[in-house]
Amino acid sequence: MLHACVYATILLGFFGLIFKENLVMKIIAMDVMSTGVIALFVLVAAREGIRTPIVSVMTPRNFADPVPQAVILTAIVIGFSIQALMLVGVMKLARDNPTLEIREIEKGYRP
Amino acid sequence: MGVPMIAFTVLWVTVPFLLGFGIYLLPRGDRLLTLGGTLVSIAYATTLFLQAAPLDLHLLDSFGVTLLADNLSAWFILTNALVTAAVILYCWETGKSAFFYIQVIILHGSINATFVCADFISLYVALEVIGIAAFLLIAYPRGDRSLWVALRYLFVSNTAMLFYLVGVILVYQTHTSFAFSGLHGAPPEALALILVGLLTKGGVFVSGLWLPLTHSEAESPVSALLSGVVVKAGVFPLVRCALLVEELDPLVRLFGVAAALLGVVYALVETDAKRVLACSTLSQMGWVLAAPEVAGFYALAHGLAKGALFLTVGNLPSRDLRVLRQQPIYTSLWLPLTVAGLSMSGFPGLVGFAAKFSTLKHAFPWQVIALNVAATGTALVYAKFIFLPHQSNQPRGGWASAKPGLWMALTLLIGGLVVANIGFLGAYTWGNGLKVLAIIAGGWLINEGVIQRTGFSLSQSLEAFEHLIGFMSLMLIVLFWMGWSWLAI
Repeated sequence: MLHACVYATILLGFFGLIFKENLVMKIIAMDVMSTGVIALFVLVAAREGIRTPIVSVMTPRNFADPVPQAVILTAIVIGFSIQALMLVGVMKLARDNPTLEIREIEKGYRP
Repeated sequence: MGVPMIAFTVLWVTVPFLLGFGIYLLPRGDRLLTLGGTLVSIAYATTLFLQAAPLDLHLLDSFGVTLLADNLSAWFILTNALVTAAVILYCWETGKSAFFYIQVIILHGSINATFVCADFISLYVALEVIGIAAFLLIAYPRGDRSLWVALRYLFVSNTAMLFYLVGVILVYQTHTSFAFSGLHGAPPEALALILVGLLTKGGVFVSGLWLPLTHSEAESPVSALLSGVVVKAGVFPLVRCALLVEELDPLVRLFGVAAALLGVVYALVETDAKRVLACSTLSQMGWVLAAPEVAGFYALAHGLAKGALFLTVGNLPSRDLRVLRQQPIYTSLWLPLTVAGLSMSGFPGLVGFAAKFSTLKHAFPWQVIALNVAATGTALVYAKFIFLPHQSNQPRGGWASAKPGLWMALTLLIGGLVVANIGFLGAYTWGNGLKVLAIIAGGWLINEGVIQRTGFSLSQSLEAFEHLIGFMSLMLIVLFWMGWSWLAI
């Protein structure tokens, strides 16, 4: 069930990326898609348990896998910085293309 | 594997980034520092060539970064170093700001990292850094048009990398490891997702249709970098995986041949000089993939020649080939165009010849016919440049003083084209020489007889943004079907 929801999030983001006309909406759609990917990593990490893996006196069982979580942290940072970069780019573009409709922009800048 | 070599590897991976941030502190030394960074890479590639056994490094524990440096990496690293050095020399007198050089050296460093990493996560990080640095370089002129092209590039590459990440976690789920060899035994959907990311990043076949616009609209030195090395960062992991996982090999070869033919068709019908070169990159990436064993050598041949072509074309009075045909260009510019064009067509004496034959030698029989067709097409494409009219009156003050940076860069690249022949001397037999001359002559005759007289053109509508993203989903389905039904991984 959770898997289905996560994959649905990824797909919805992807469809938004194709079907939304506005550039800002496309960036948001990409954000939705990357949220889905992050959730998938967390879900895979939790397949054997959801406890935080900390060394303690307790008997070790039901620990979440720390590796995918550590890895996705990098991906989150990268994704967020790319989105920030894109939004700055879009802000500059918006000065000459106030509607930010992608078709108009492509028509205007085609050689 | 000695300790000094490990230390050298780690140093070489980190040096470009240290230099990049160092330039923020010492903006005056930007050009010297970046050039120094490429020299370190040349030294490292040379050491790797002399190394007998591949260097296999596991940093930290079993989940740490794994590196694999061998002969194949050495070819790609050398290409990266030479092209970046040529671009820096070209920009020496153009008054680019320190920011430009910072991005160039960071791009150089992250491309270097892709050529040695052996696990999916290091590769992901390196590819994303490449995406950001390339974005900043394309957007460097700060015009609206270049900004849009850069944004489009970042969009496509980031979406591809998201698919790639999903594939990576599926591989992890199967093997609890991120190593490249984990593709063996991974479910077909993981394979399809990872491949779609890498094919898009590397500009291979229809996933690479973002490439012509991006590479032609960037400034010439940036185009030379993008076409010369940046796409190879996407192609290299495919080659590496094909060599590590046997089942992938036929798939990669098939995509190679398909891309070689598609790119040639696109390049033939173009009339814009930079777009012709960019479409030819599409085709040449196919050649690199067509024989994974010798991919490194072909990548070097392509990087050097394409770098020289882009740098020269940037100095022509017009980009439209129809205008250039009416209006003679300077012989001093025509000469490098011809030498690099001949190398791309595989003319004996230049590295393109040796590279083509080493690829053909390692290709399967079914590939050879298609590749010969692609080679004829390539000769045809470059005939467009070689037969441009030219005149010898020079700009005032002699040609060498007009653009010192261009000549230094071209000397480096074209010198490389001649010297790199030693990579495969076995290509030089009478039969091969005659064959290639026949292919080139055939291509030129077709060019004179048919192409020059017809005005056929393909529409660019496939390169619209939505179609680029849409193609990704189609490729995903095709790859999934291939992985599921043929490969039985």
